[in-house]
Amino acid sequence: MISVSNLSKKIGDVQALDNLSFDAEDGQITGLLGPNGAGKTTCLRTIFGLLKADQGIATINNIDVAIKPVAAKQQLGLFPDPFGIYERLTPREYIRYFAELSGLSRAAALEATNRVIDDLQLADIADRRCKGFSQGQRMKTALAQAIVHQPKNIVLDEPTRGLDVMSTRILRDMLRKLKSEGHCILFSSHVMQEVASLCDRVVVMTEGRVVAIGSPQQLCEQTNQTSLEEAFITLIGTDEGIAA
Amino acid sequence: MNSRFLSLLRKELIDAIRDKRSVMAGLYYAIFVPLLMAGMMMLLIDKLTSPEDLNITINNSSAAADLVAYLDNQGIRHSNDKATTKAIEITIGAAYAEQMHRAEPAEVILIADRSEENLQSAIRRTERTLQRYSAEMASLRLIARGINPKIMNSLNVKMQDQATTESKGGQLIAMIILFMLLSVFVSGMNLAIDTSAGERERNSLALLLSHPISLRQLVLSKVCAVSIFGMLGLFLVLLVSKFVYPFVPWQELGFNVDININFMMAAFIAGVFVAFLAASMQLFVSFMAKSFKEAQTYITFVMFVPMMLSYAVTFDLATDELRWAPVTGQLQALIDVMKGKEIPLLQLAVSCLSTLLISIALVLGMERLLKSEKIVFGL
Repeated sequence: MISVSNLSKKIGDVQALDNLSFDAEDGQITGLLGPNGAGKTTCLRTIFGLLKADQGIATINNIDVAIKPVAAKQQLGLFPDPFGIYERLTPREYIRYFAELSGLSRAAALEATNRVIDDLQLADIADRRCKGFSQGQRMKTALAQAIVHQPKNIVLDEPTRGLDVMSTRILRDMLRKLKSEGHCILFSSHVMQEVASLCDRVVVMTEGRVVAIGSPQQLCEQTNQTSLEEAFITLIGTDEGIAA
Repeated sequence: MNSRFLSLLRKELIDAIRDKRSVMAGLYYAIFVPLLMAGMMMLLIDKLTSPEDLNITINNSSAAADLVAYLDNQGIRHSNDKATTKAIEITIGAAYAEQMHRAEPAEVILIADRSEENLQSAIRRTERTLQRYSAEMASLRLIARGINPKIMNSLNVKMQDQATTESKGGQLIAMIILFMLLSVFVSGMNLAIDTSAGERERNSLALLLSHPISLRQLVLSKVCAVSIFGMLGLFLVLLVSKFVYPFVPWQELGFNVDININFMMAAFIAGVFVAFLAASMQLFVSFMAKSFKEAQTYITFVMFVPMMLSYAVTFDLATDELRWAPVTGQLQALIDVMKGKEIPLLQLAVSCLSTLLISIALVLGMERLLKSEKIVFGL
């Protein structure tokens, strides 16, 4: 479970996070929906302790990330944007490396790497160097890196950006599978379709603040709209910076 | 704790070895510097030991056939070719033969411009040769009169040269060792940039920091990887030098450059400290830089510091004080080993300790840098 309460963060002159609070429960997919520049990435980076909040706390399974960063990060898997692929490593080496960094022994990391390569059908590219990979292949490698150590909580930053239909489907199926296994999944997106089809709960944010929280259904009811898109526009008052 | 450090280090090394640019940087230096140095030394030795022929103008040479033959023997001869002839003129006096015959000082006029910088050594050489001829003739005359020519030497000055063979070519040896030690800086340079500024540019730094590793593990693994590259560079330079330098005729200069096991061991021990310092300095500035390119600029400046200090040693400036300092301390110790002198251990220990302390300070500094959001995300 990921819990964020009263987070505030100023970057330069911009109030990137403004008293932001929400929870992402285990066994649910929580979507962080907001227009470009709403503070989604800042929020995720704060959850990982990469940015320090001016105020408020972020906890992972009740561990405060600011106080015990290593223990908190142990419970997390990150699918970052951009991916941060090492082009001179093969996916197998890349995945195993991060598995080891997440605390798995060398042998256990190898085993976990083999398993995730099977799960994501990466075998055909697993031993080629990542240089020259397509966006889909990079996505799969990054996703494998995020889930190889089977973290309780998985955070994805704009996961479907730049992906074709097939890759998006693989991603979605994987997220649903992880959810059914009881993982807590939090992802940020500005793509309405993706959020509507995947999320159990949606956190709508703009200008660093939470505007509404609820299931897509609840949000529609709350705003008297028939689609999430209309509901969203009603909530944030504009359709700027959002993709259908 | 340790296994994560090893995972980090293993990955850094694999990544580095696959980076052609990083590997080549070390390789080129290690192979070409000893070759270039050897080539340069060969030319230098050639110039120093077999002086070129000295072409001058000799007037009335027919009057002193014996003297002209003697000069010719020493490489000093008459030439009509204006281009190669130095502005030195010897004129044999008209009465030379007559005076010689009567054992009177025979007149030889040497005409040259002593203020001319370029002619200094040529003039001195001509004078020395003429004096030697004069002394030889004098001895012969004394012998002819039944007198021991030794009577002319009232003093018997014996110069006891304290220099051992190895200690003679001081500057040259210093330079050779300086370029060996600098390999530690050059070989790890590209890797240092790639693994810090490059890591951030490729967006993997934030991902790395999102994992449950400590900053110390991260920084130390990078410093170690760069140091290992530096040491590999040093090892290669030593290896290539070992095979190349024997081809240089050092003995003609009166000393020898012998890359033996002892020296290699000493170079390795001293090198470890310098490599650690080089790695932490280079990583520190590359982390501060905003981009790969900027890091390249900064790192060049970093190179200047040890270079300048080491040049001071090569040219014998503040040599004693610099024995206590990082890099120059190790450099001088290695020069001593090569020259077969005793190493002042206290100074070397202080120098190594200060090298280590600066490196540790830089490591701690990098940990601070990586806590900063500005550095990690380039905000």
